[in-house]
Amino acid sequence: MGSDSIANASIPMLSSNPKDFAKKKRANRSAKLKQCKLDARREQWLSQVKNKGSNEELNGGGGAPGQGMHVANERGLLMEKLVIKPRGDEEKENGGCTNNYSDFDSPSNSPTSDTSLLEGNDSGTNFTGASSSSSSSSSSSGGCCSGSMSEEDNEGDDGCLDDWEAVADALAATDKKQEQLSSSLDSAPERDENVVHVSSPEDPDRHESGLDVSKQKPWEPISPVSFRAWRPDDAFRPQSLPTLSKQYTFPMNLGQHYRGGSVWGCKSLSIPTSCPICCEDLDFTDTSFLPCPCGFRLCLFCHKRILEEDGRCPSCRKQYKHDPLEGETTEDAGSLTFRPTRSCSMISRS
Amino acid sequence: MQASRARLFKEYKEVQREKSADPDIQLVCDDSNIFKWTALIKGPSETPYDGGVFQLAFSVPEQYPLQPPQVRFLTKIFHPNVHFKTGEICLDILKNAWSPAWTLQSVCRAIIALMAHPEADSPLNCDSGNLLRSGDIRGYQSMARMYTRLAAMPKKG
Repeated sequence: MGSDSIANASIPMLSSNPKDFAKKKRANRSAKLKQCKLDARREQWLSQVKNKGSNEELNGGGGAPGQGMHVANERGLLMEKLVIKPRGDEEKENGGCTNNYSDFDSPSNSPTSDTSLLEGNDSGTNFTGASSSSSSSSSSSGGCCSGSMSEEDNEGDDGCLDDWEAVADALAATDKKQEQLSSSLDSAPERDENVVHVSSPEDPDRHESGLDVSKQKPWEPISPVSFRAWRPDDAFRPQSLPTLSKQYTFPMNLGQHYRGGSVWGCKSLSIPTSCPICCEDLDFTDTSFLPCPCGFRLCLFCHKRILEEDGRCPSCRKQYKHDPLEGETTEDAGSLTFRPTRSCSMISRS
Repeated sequence: MQASRARLFKEYKEVQREKSADPDIQLVCDDSNIFKWTALIKGPSETPYDGGVFQLAFSVPEQYPLQPPQVRFLTKIFHPNVHFKTGEICLDILKNAWSPAWTLQSVCRAIIALMAHPEADSPLNCDSGNLLRSGDIRGYQSMARMYTRLAAMPKKG
């Protein structure tokens, strides 16, 4: 049942803005940051609705008094709904790419996002119903306002995406996680405001609510690791840079960091192009494979054969350990263990 | 099989390229069989083997380099850790201490080091080992030098 509602939510999103969707798919590593951004945009949107609501009231008072009151009531109702379920319309705005998130999130995260998606869809449909009725009953200015707003939303999204990616990179580089993020979150509404050109009489109010949002979402920055551009054991991480930084950052930490100051440690900086055991060329998986603390590299094939025999490192003759050092070997196994959960969620969705 | 062949071929190229790198070792591959090698090593100086040239026969298993090569002296040598008749060598890196990181070249170096530092406590040549263990260094050296002259030096005249 969840699958139906999710499909309903995501399909209009796809058809309305496929380019945007593709962009999001590509940039899924900053998914969390985008959610922050969406929060900010929702805040700004909320305040705009508030403004419009007040404008509407004025207009209604001038034109048709009875209908004006009705519109104001409906606006109030709408506002209530938005305030009560703030995540709902955010998720609805974001219907397409939330699917995307859960694909790439860790399996532990995906169930929560699923549930949030469900409730989001509920409130989303409620919200669209209310807005359509209000716009039909209200004056034409309200309708055109909402239309322009959504367009500007999309444009703002395109512009913002790169900015936020840049912010993400900067965050990864400086390694300041939570505080900086929340501060940038607070400053985000002002930036969006420039994009949409809204005069904001309720600015302080909005800022308060913006802070509230950042506080009321403890699930937002779940793992500081996800803000890094590359995880330390990421296979797609560039070879040279993290190796060097590790070498220089933890030269003493021989126990945990396997690129210690041994002779082979120096050699590991210049990764051999062929396996020293079988002399076959090392492929990408092999070069990112470091089975022993001494830094001796070999291909996975030879490593397996050695494990079948005496299981000792050819260089230092210590027993190979089955621990996180082999994180990159178990890459295949890892994806295998992850895959079931992913495929399950995919099936439930489609 | 294929892996050992590739590895040996690379070692062969390495040997060809660095022929002059180690003048004490001359490693030659059999013309028709890459699993059979012979080596000529010079006896280390300041030992009774100085001046002699000793021939080694390598027989490389198909599991190489996971399994060590079988090496024996073709030249007769009086050494506590070399069997006097068969030329078998008692050396840990050729048995349990073998590592796939070793090469035929490094095995040759290890054998030269063994010639310079005989290990009398695990003898294959009991006569030689007993001489050393009883402290008869002079007896051991003279015996070793004699056999070096007899077997490892070019015949004069």
